[in-house]
Amino acid sequence: MANEVETKIREEAKKLLESGEVTVVIGWGTGSAAFKTTPVFVEKPEDVEKLVWNPACTNNLAVYLPQVAQHAKVGIVVKPCDSRSIVTLIQEKQVPKENLKIIGVTCPGIVDDASLKKAGVKLSEVQGLDWDTDCVVVGAPSGKTKLPITDAVKEGCRTCTQRTPVISDVTAGSVPAVNPVPIEPMEGTPEERRAYWAKQFERCIRCYACRQVCPSCYCAKCFADRNDVRWTNKKADTSEAWMFHMGRAMHLAGRCVGCGECERACPMELPIMQLNREVQRRVEALFDFVPGMDIETAPALGQFEPEDPDPNEH
Amino acid sequence: MSEEITEKKNDSNWKPLILGILCNWCSYAGADLAGSSRLKHPANLRIVRVPCSGRVNPLFVLKGFQKGFDGVMVLGCHPGDCHYAKGNYYARRRIMLLKELLQSMGIEPERFHFEWVSASEGVRFAELVSEMSEKIEKVGPFTGVDCSKVPAAF
Repeated sequence: MANEVETKIREEAKKLLESGEVTVVIGWGTGSAAFKTTPVFVEKPEDVEKLVWNPACTNNLAVYLPQVAQHAKVGIVVKPCDSRSIVTLIQEKQVPKENLKIIGVTCPGIVDDASLKKAGVKLSEVQGLDWDTDCVVVGAPSGKTKLPITDAVKEGCRTCTQRTPVISDVTAGSVPAVNPVPIEPMEGTPEERRAYWAKQFERCIRCYACRQVCPSCYCAKCFADRNDVRWTNKKADTSEAWMFHMGRAMHLAGRCVGCGECERACPMELPIMQLNREVQRRVEALFDFVPGMDIETAPALGQFEPEDPDPNEH
Repeated sequence: MSEEITEKKNDSNWKPLILGILCNWCSYAGADLAGSSRLKHPANLRIVRVPCSGRVNPLFVLKGFQKGFDGVMVLGCHPGDCHYAKGNYYARRRIMLLKELLQSMGIEPERFHFEWVSASEGVRFAELVSEMSEKIEKVGPFTGVDCSKVPAAF
């Protein structure tokens, strides 16, 4: 299933590079293991064979655009969530639209090592990954195993409602028939929730990998790095980590497209997406807003309506 | 500030300490009116004056809780009354979301209050502060967002 799409990606990339429409195509390449891929920057038409497409293509490549596509023509391969990041970047004037050639792919859901482990896959034995209608096919020496998509993919992919790219010049692949799982609100008493989050943030080593990998975190100077106003101290302290993550959640409110890169990049396995999903769930309920769908629409907190929910009515 | 807070918590006569972030044109003037009208309200509110409720960075509120305030209130001009025409509309979206997010994070709804207070509503201001103070007194001191200070429930 992934093969036809892969061929199409390579064809399109080759066309773009040969015609000189772009100087580089950003896509995914074979990683250090069969369950991993790595970002590749293809500059020559003969190198398009390096581009791959499979259930391990997890990186949101839009993260490179503010640096790479500012003054150069760039081709980029995107999943639906990545395409929403691009919409956000164009809307917020971080990337000129005319510099982009977007090769979109439809996406039934992505796996990563954590989600595969959870589904009971022995990572050392994985030889290949593919989709088959509503299954993820895991190739191993003992043969192929089919796992239902909702069991094998990342949490964010289970709840994803966008299976085709929002913005693209060409789109490869057919629309997958995958039913999203609804997002559950957080449970528990206030005290339980506060304890839960304190316990999560206690592990944070504040490496800021979540920020670095996020296409929406492009600020030249992050609030966490400022020392004229010290929003977060350098001290290894849970409340400082709480401050960072809460600040980040509010900065991403109505802008996070839910690609899940922050959670993947986190070395301490913090449930960052649980926080982002909770924010997005509330943004949708309050303002009926889904980020990254339209390049003309400002983010939820960058606009208002006179009829917005009012404190006097809540 | 944090030392003051710790001291307060150890005090058997604990009274909630509230951070008030007030817009200069309406709410701060409202607070001023409450004062010049000799109205009584609990003296446990620490006021930060901002040019507009649209200036209220969610980080102000978060920092307040991180430092251990028992409650935070954000007050601004009524919709349509903003000195800068639409600052309070932006604030409304931002602060309404923050209010809900704080609940997700396990901060009791009583501890955060977002409200419109105009320059003529001195009486209302005094009432609001008294009400909020009473509510927080029932909920008890805020024990912080730190793991060591909140009971282990998970």
